[in-house]
Amino acid sequence: MILSRLAGRPVLLAAGLITVLALPWLIYPPVAMDVLCWALFAVALDVLLGFTGLLSFGHAAFWGTAAYAAGLLAIHYSLPFPLAVLGAALAAAVLAVPIGFLSVRRTGIYFAMVTLAFAQMVYFLANQWSGLTGGENGLQGIPRELFGLDLSDPFFFYYYGLPLVLVGLWAAWRIVRSPFGRVLTAIRDNPARARALGYPVDRYKLLAFVLSAGLSGLAGGLYAISHGFASLQEVNWTTSGKVVIMVVLGGIGTLWGPGLGSLIMVQLNDFLSTAGFDGIDLVTGGVLILIVLLFRRGMWGTVVDLLARRAARRAEARAKAKAPAAEEPVPSGSA
Amino acid sequence: MRRRVLTAVAIAAALTTTVAACGGGPGGGGGKITDDKIVLGVLNDQSGVYSELSGKNSVTAVEMAVEDFKAKYGDDAITKNIEVVTADHQNKPDVANTKAQELYDRQKADVILDVPTSSAALAVAGQAAAKKKLHINVTAATTELTGAKCNKYTFHWAYDTYMLANGTGTSVTEAGAKDWYIVYPDYAFGQDMQKSFTEAIQKTGGQVITADPTPFPNDDFSTFLLKAPTLSPTPSVIGTMHAGGDLVNLVKQYNEFGLREKGVDLSVGLMFITDIHSLGVEAFAGTTFTDAWYWNADADNRAWADRFQAKTGTRPSFAHAGNYSAALQYLEAAQRAGTDNADDVVKALEGFAFNDVFAANGQVRAEDHRMIHDSYLAKVKSPDQVTEDWDYEEIVETIPAAEAFRPAAESGCQF
Amino acid sequence: MQHIFNGLVSGSFLAMLALGLAVIFGMLGVVNFAHGAFYMLGAFGAYLLLTEWGVNYWVALAAVPVALGLFGALVERVLIRRLSALDPLYNFLLTFGLALLLQDLVRREYGVQSQPYTSPLTATVDFGLFTYPAYQVMVLGISLVVCLAVWLVLSKTRLGVIVRAATERPELTRALGIDVGRYVAPMFGFGVALAGFAGVLAAPMRAVNPLMGGDLIITVFAVVVIGGLGSIFGSVTAGFAIGLITALANLYVPTLSQTIVFILMAAVLLWRPAGLFGREEAFT
Repeated sequence: MILSRLAGRPVLLAAGLITVLALPWLIYPPVAMDVLCWALFAVALDVLLGFTGLLSFGHAAFWGTAAYAAGLLAIHYSLPFPLAVLGAALAAAVLAVPIGFLSVRRTGIYFAMVTLAFAQMVYFLANQWSGLTGGENGLQGIPRELFGLDLSDPFFFYYYGLPLVLVGLWAAWRIVRSPFGRVLTAIRDNPARARALGYPVDRYKLLAFVLSAGLSGLAGGLYAISHGFASLQEVNWTTSGKVVIMVVLGGIGTLWGPGLGSLIMVQLNDFLSTAGFDGIDLVTGGVLILIVLLFRRGMWGTVVDLLARRAARRAEARAKAKAPAAEEPVPSGSA
Repeated sequence: MRRRVLTAVAIAAALTTTVAACGGGPGGGGGKITDDKIVLGVLNDQSGVYSELSGKNSVTAVEMAVEDFKAKYGDDAITKNIEVVTADHQNKPDVANTKAQELYDRQKADVILDVPTSSAALAVAGQAAAKKKLHINVTAATTELTGAKCNKYTFHWAYDTYMLANGTGTSVTEAGAKDWYIVYPDYAFGQDMQKSFTEAIQKTGGQVITADPTPFPNDDFSTFLLKAPTLSPTPSVIGTMHAGGDLVNLVKQYNEFGLREKGVDLSVGLMFITDIHSLGVEAFAGTTFTDAWYWNADADNRAWADRFQAKTGTRPSFAHAGNYSAALQYLEAAQRAGTDNADDVVKALEGFAFNDVFAANGQVRAEDHRMIHDSYLAKVKSPDQVTEDWDYEEIVETIPAAEAFRPAAESGCQF
Repeated sequence: MQHIFNGLVSGSFLAMLALGLAVIFGMLGVVNFAHGAFYMLGAFGAYLLLTEWGVNYWVALAAVPVALGLFGALVERVLIRRLSALDPLYNFLLTFGLALLLQDLVRREYGVQSQPYTSPLTATVDFGLFTYPAYQVMVLGISLVVCLAVWLVLSKTRLGVIVRAATERPELTRALGIDVGRYVAPMFGFGVALAGFAGVLAAPMRAVNPLMGGDLIITVFAVVVIGGLGSIFGSVTAGFAIGLITALANLYVPTLSQTIVFILMAAVLLWRPAGLFGREEAFT
């Protein structure tokens, strides 16, 4: 419960906003843009993983499809980039309907394997359908169009793209806090009970899947526009794995955590590759193992836990000092 | 209420940052040499399938060019401050795109060299056009770089699919192998090669019985190899357009299925000396292919190859020599132009004719930025003809520069 | 005919990998993402033994799986076991991390260039209608024998009874007082050894490179979903069947050759979500 209180706290929100606004001053602007896109992608996955309890290992399918869709819309119809990105999000959501319909029939580990397999199928389709996707070459030269403004400087483009990401993050937050989100959490914690209460569990899961895919699409579409490029890498399973790692690193089910996870991962990646160290998978694989073994709650979750424990200790101490009778509710971390 | 305050704060923050950013603006002085140095960027595959044939040793080749340039001009050099920077694009176009942007913006590269893998090369060419900086491609094969997707700042140096098909397709057909079965990897390079080969074969009076795309990447070619002898008429030669690991697999399985004994020869579309080295000469013995340069072709090449070996411990592929040449000619052009300003260097390169250790009768065509030079028809030696390590090729024929490449009129390039 | 043979040969790799995956899943409830990486290590093991110490293929075929099996058991003891009480997704993530780590370690050492490994059998077998490389025939034979042997052991011996019981009714088995834990590490090791065995068999046929297992494992996942993850028989059958179907697709509808396995998976999910040979209770 402390988490929701923290997340709701305006101080935290303001700090987050300032960080996001200052980011391109602190790091190389194109990298800052990548952080934004991956953060939204990771948060979108967290809606599914953290709040619905479904680990999708195939979200690259939606991120990648959206990247292609945004590229095609921008190239062939010269749409202003926010419209192209929204169209891309829609395309990803539409693709998620059949995939989600089949995948939510299984849960847990099966769900992960099935989504992974479907994403691989999307990968092969994108590879084969080279007339549309450019195959190995990728979609190149995707324009950034917005009423004739000059968007070529990555520094400024960051601020043009930012509102889209903020809208996406806000949507994710709304989904999780809504009554719908509470049902999802209930399904996660006890599907049998939710079913007994009369909720159409599969339909709820499907809707969560489609929403998560749509938000991932928003991120993927913006990513393609920002790079001017959409490639097979976007639909590859390694992309699915990367975003899962971000969520786990940051903290499953915390929304803030995945954002933090993406900032760290993208920065780490950039740092290692500029330093000439080629072994990014080595590092990420090792980090994932350590996190899963030692800090399963992720960085955000661990910090929040520590704070909560300290608060609890203080409250206890205070309670002891005052009067043994005055009981204060001890806050506990929520997953 | 609180929310409204927050929004106001956010907007104010956004405004200040934007305004402040405007103040920054693009810097840069008006001197002859921007940033007081010339930066050569080498962008290639440093850990993947092409890391042997280009990779880090291409960086060494470029450094050799810088060394030679400085030695030649001494105090008269346009600048003594020449840097070589490098990045790994992992053969992925998206990585190449990002890295090219970084090399131009962050590392202030004036030119990006090498760039194997057609898709990656096209991405870098796109960045070159956007940033108005040079890209001299050495190791990618696609003719698109000097065709439909050409641009003012992109040059193509060592070879392309037309030159390979024109050499190998024509000569093998002329030698009597009229009926071809072509297998090609189903991506840009393979499709390009298939088209170029089919044209060259038909022009020489041969025919392509059928051409099959194979999935990419693929490790099991038996379906296609088994199909070959069942075709009618039986093909005299299988033309493979595969590269890297796919090629290694295919040749391995070709030998396993004993197709050569059944009278079906193998012809390889693109081969680097490093491919022969990794599978061994016996796997390829007798195969004819087109080469852009061979280290043991004459005394000059050999001398350069000795220098290269002293630094790297291995013999150079044509890509290494090509990178040396591209870097050297870029520096020479900057020297002639008296600046590293991209437009002036482009002008100095256009139409320039030269000879160096890589290019015999080289000329940079102004129409499409294709660098044309003599190319060679080579044959892989049989194991008993090999006298020393890396001594794998015998040059059968020299194809003059003017005939080796696609005529500029057919390129379809418009700047 | 040759194509059917071909399909069965590539199916035998899928079957052996699916079998190992099924054994591990059965015993631990863990889906081993690193299975593809172990397959790759098997092939690399054979390659290294040959090039570094001149150890021939047949020795490698025995030694590499044993070594990998021990390594697998160690991985179970040191890593997997710590998470056994938790949601199996954590172990899925752990093995995913392990796969990235192993793959990148090998890549940094040897590059992604394929390493050559010459076939120990160069002869061809004459079947009258067609000739076929002897090595491929041997691979098919060996894998059939291995799959059959594993099935026999699991269905006829006491060890098999325990393992199957633990696989299919873990709570009940524990309740009966059988110390399931004792069998966990050896069985994980055994599954890994099977992957390594498949890797050594693959070395002379396929390109030996660090990425050879990464893509294959996803296809194996689809195979396992089709066959039914809890079912050993289903995994093996589906493995051979998918190999065959893919080869035929390659011949008749090449555009579908890479996607057909996933289309089949979608069909199976619609028709029998538990997989062709899976039991309904096996999932919730």
